[in-house]
Amino acid sequence: MTTIQVRNVSHQFSNQEYVLDNINLNVPEGSIYGFLGPNGAGKTTTLRLILGLLKKQKGEIEIFGKPFDSSRIEILSKIGSLIESPSLYGHLTAVNNLKVWQKIYQSPDSRIGEVLALVGLAHTKNKKASQFSLGMKQRLGIAIALLHSPSLLILDEPTNGLDPGGIVEIRELLKQLNQQHGITIIISSHLLGEIEKLVTDVGIINKGKMLFESSLVDLLKRQHQASTIYFDTNDNATALQLIHQQKIEAQIEKERIVVSQLSKQGIAQLNQTLVANNIEVYGIRAVENDLESIFMNLTNN
Amino acid sequence: MISFIHSFQSEWLKKKGTLAFWLVFVGSFFIPLIFLTRGIIYSADFLAETKSPMFWEVLISRSWQFMAILLLPLGLALATSLITQLEFRNNTWKQLNTTPQSLSVIYWSKFAVIIVMLLQFFLLFHIGIYLSALIPAILHGASDFYQRTVPFSSILKTAALFFVDCLPIVAIQYLVSLQFKNFLVPLSFGIGLLIASLIAVQWKYGYTIPYTYCMYNFFSAKQPKMVPAGVNFHYWAVGYFVGSALLGYFLYFNKKEKG
Repeated sequence: MTTIQVRNVSHQFSNQEYVLDNINLNVPEGSIYGFLGPNGAGKTTTLRLILGLLKKQKGEIEIFGKPFDSSRIEILSKIGSLIESPSLYGHLTAVNNLKVWQKIYQSPDSRIGEVLALVGLAHTKNKKASQFSLGMKQRLGIAIALLHSPSLLILDEPTNGLDPGGIVEIRELLKQLNQQHGITIIISSHLLGEIEKLVTDVGIINKGKMLFESSLVDLLKRQHQASTIYFDTNDNATALQLIHQQKIEAQIEKERIVVSQLSKQGIAQLNQTLVANNIEVYGIRAVENDLESIFMNLTNN
Repeated sequence: MISFIHSFQSEWLKKKGTLAFWLVFVGSFFIPLIFLTRGIIYSADFLAETKSPMFWEVLISRSWQFMAILLLPLGLALATSLITQLEFRNNTWKQLNTTPQSLSVIYWSKFAVIIVMLLQFFLLFHIGIYLSALIPAILHGASDFYQRTVPFSSILKTAALFFVDCLPIVAIQYLVSLQFKNFLVPLSFGIGLLIASLIAVQWKYGYTIPYTYCMYNFFSAKQPKMVPAGVNFHYWAVGYFVGSALLGYFLYFNKKEKG
């Protein structure tokens, strides 16, 4: 089942060009969906449309199988969100900040202590939120999002301002929430490396257009397909001619032959051809492109 | 209704420790504190005043004089702007507008908090007035003071009319404050309109300016000639209040960006 379904959504601010152009997005239930794109790609606008913070101009948005417009309150009661910088009342303590939202959600009092402990802020006592570090503010923002035990978490760059240790902690927390409590999570980021260890599904957006949407497994397959093979021979020029005769694209770089996208069987066959033509093959090395470069390729194209 | 009560509780908690919260206390006790100090220092004047059967009427009228003309409208413009500014300054509109409550509940509960704060202000102001007379009376052993009956019904009527007359300021300031992120816009707007009211109070159409009604209410007892003849400015106050509150709601409801 799909938790969030966005169909053909476009959006423009005043008379400027479209910031979102016919976006389609499907977040499977129980998944951790990484919503990726460079700054200004349209991630936050999409998330704000999903949450009803922007008036929808074109397209359909369904959450938990219901149209957002007609089931707004019911849908929002099951969503926890953190959009851009955390929304905190600087003059209040962490506990009072949570109490403000607890009154609305009517979640049990004990939940305040639970979520504070969960994000590691149980020790803050009388310290006002304005005195918190950026990382602490971010954690409190996540605590607010978790307060009413939502089924869906929408997090817009939640690790902004966190140190590496904090990023790992938040990642582990989100994994735990997803695996132990079955919470579906959509998390946006402009850094694939930051969330590739976390997500199960990926959507890549750039300049208001969805470039890729599938499971992380599919993205990894693409990564494997996009691997580069290096051949080290005694006669690269002749070897390159033979490779081209096999209708395989290749070139010489730094005294090595570089071949892209070749299956394991293809590597073996090509090696046999080279040896059969008296080419001495000193080494074959396959280097897989990292996800970051695939992401960069997608967004740059 | 339940959702409104929960939202109201949440809004009430938010203002804890804010400038708006302190403004209610400081503002309501400011004038009574001046009279208290005067009563303590100038004991002869105070004791002479307690001999007058109109002691309470005079004290209450003096207290309202300073409050009605400047402090109350100014304080209201400031407090109302501060309450809405709380969301802009803390970047919390986006969180508030994604809570599972209708936009109507959000708008009206915040508005209700401001109205209740105004009631709180009126209550504290009158407690302050009472203490500004009681404390010097105890200190100076003013036996006449205890023979002066507090004119409750007249106090209540005066307070009720001042309350109605300042409601347009609350509604208009609320409307403007919700539209602008910059705190200076609603504040300047309020101060500007208040100055315009001070200038226009003697103008025959001065009653069309919604910030004049507290002044008219004060003058209606002291200098009736200052009040436009044949105009019930209390009705005008109610009209402006209802109209501005509904317009504010319409604009908030139809905002394209809600945080």
